[in-house]
Amino acid sequence: MRVTEEELVKAARRKDLTVRWVSRILGYIVVLGTWEWASGRVLEENLLPGPTRVVQTAIELFNKGKIFSAFEATLTRIVLGVAVAFLVGAALGILTQNRWFAGFFKDAITIGLTSPGLIWVLITALVFGNRWYGPLSAIVLTTFALVTVNVAEGIGTLPKDTIDMAKAFKVGVVRRNRHIVIPHLAPFLFTGFRFSFSIGWKVTVLTEIFTASSGIGFEMRIAQILFRQDEVLTWILLFFVFALFFEKVVLQAIENRFFRWRKEIAST
Amino acid sequence: MADIKISNLHKEFGVGDDKVVALENVNLEISGHVFVSIVGPSGCGKSTLLNILSGIETPTSGSLTITQAGAQAAPGYVFQAARLLPWRTVMDNLLFVQADKSSETRARCQKYLDMVQLGDMINIIRTSCQVVCSSASDWRARWRPMLIFMDEPFSHLDAITARSLRRELHSMWAATKKTIVFVTHDVGEAVELSNRILVFAQGGILKDDINVELDFPRDPSDEAVAVAKANVLKKFEELDLLAT
Repeated sequence: MRVTEEELVKAARRKDLTVRWVSRILGYIVVLGTWEWASGRVLEENLLPGPTRVVQTAIELFNKGKIFSAFEATLTRIVLGVAVAFLVGAALGILTQNRWFAGFFKDAITIGLTSPGLIWVLITALVFGNRWYGPLSAIVLTTFALVTVNVAEGIGTLPKDTIDMAKAFKVGVVRRNRHIVIPHLAPFLFTGFRFSFSIGWKVTVLTEIFTASSGIGFEMRIAQILFRQDEVLTWILLFFVFALFFEKVVLQAIENRFFRWRKEIAST
Repeated sequence: MADIKISNLHKEFGVGDDKVVALENVNLEISGHVFVSIVGPSGCGKSTLLNILSGIETPTSGSLTITQAGAQAAPGYVFQAARLLPWRTVMDNLLFVQADKSSETRARCQKYLDMVQLGDMINIIRTSCQVVCSSASDWRARWRPMLIFMDEPFSHLDAITARSLRRELHSMWAATKKTIVFVTHDVGEAVELSNRILVFAQGGILKDDINVELDFPRDPSDEAVAVAKANVLKKFEELDLLAT
């Protein structure tokens, strides 16, 4: 029987998918299995509670309503912080198109890109204590530069030729911006948002450990003080689950929906 | 048909020591059902002139009017390289420059896409499509205006494809009353297509205005066309435009 090229491609894709998922699941089984085995054998159960215990604790915390309230507090801070960082970063990205502003902000942006979030967490904790704008300032200071460089790069690479083409065909400035400038900038804005969110997430939890009286970081600190290792691990695990969900489901869906054309271009 | 009147058109780029004169006091009239080619060495202001005529650039001084039946003309422009929006489909790219997006316009776009075997790809976003689309179908799909500017549209095509497209372009021009201003660096192409050739020299100076009085269609292998091409090149030599 002859096998068509299409069938060969399909079979190769199926194999690829199987390898990807089997290896992924194997990774989980090995890590969780080792962890469960090590709990009570390598380290005492109090120091290293196993995954089953952690899941039980997670269910208890969920039933008490703690998970929802902690996530609500942390996410509110992240969303606010990232939103302000995005506005400040984008404004600077636009301003730095001017040579004077570019010179003025150059080193500040480099510092913003290279400084670890921890230093801003410490400074804002000292200055603002546990006021609500403490974590917000830390997020803005840690992530604004990521948005700035992305926006600046987007503006710097605006397709002048295509804009000229639109001008030659008397396409108005509103349509030019709507159909050329914004779609061109969108991937840069998205990348800025993605980085800003992933770093903002870490910084927020860090600020909560130091100063806040609610949120995931706060709950982790309390659990650590009370030596409830199972709770500490539960919060860490939830942190991982949320980060994976946000990256692999939410951001990926946005990317597939709006930036499909980039993948198509890359594949040609 | 359209009428173009250019008087004392001057264009400079940069300031101070960096100043470059792209066009120097050009005076020109183009009118009626003509095919005008602009030839000259690289950097002589050919494309700048088209950009000013189409409104992409503004002149430093001088004036120009472009009219069609007494009203301001809405020219079409065929660029040298792909200028498409990769996030839009092939059909949406063509519709982008159309003020009227009615079903009649869509049908017209479809007709020209069919002509270049892209008719079944209207919903596809692909760079490969863009390349074909920009080089071949772009100028057909934007064929509606009565005044068309073309900036070396065949320069990146192979000789055989370019030749067949030149023939097609000529027959389409002959069948309508359009005015075409065509920039090229290929004297043979200019002789084959045009009834008027404008020769530009470095510094944006209009050196000569040659009428090519040969019957259409012109085959590049015809003796008369070859002689005409040789005569134009001779003028280039006289004007000291050829590298020695």
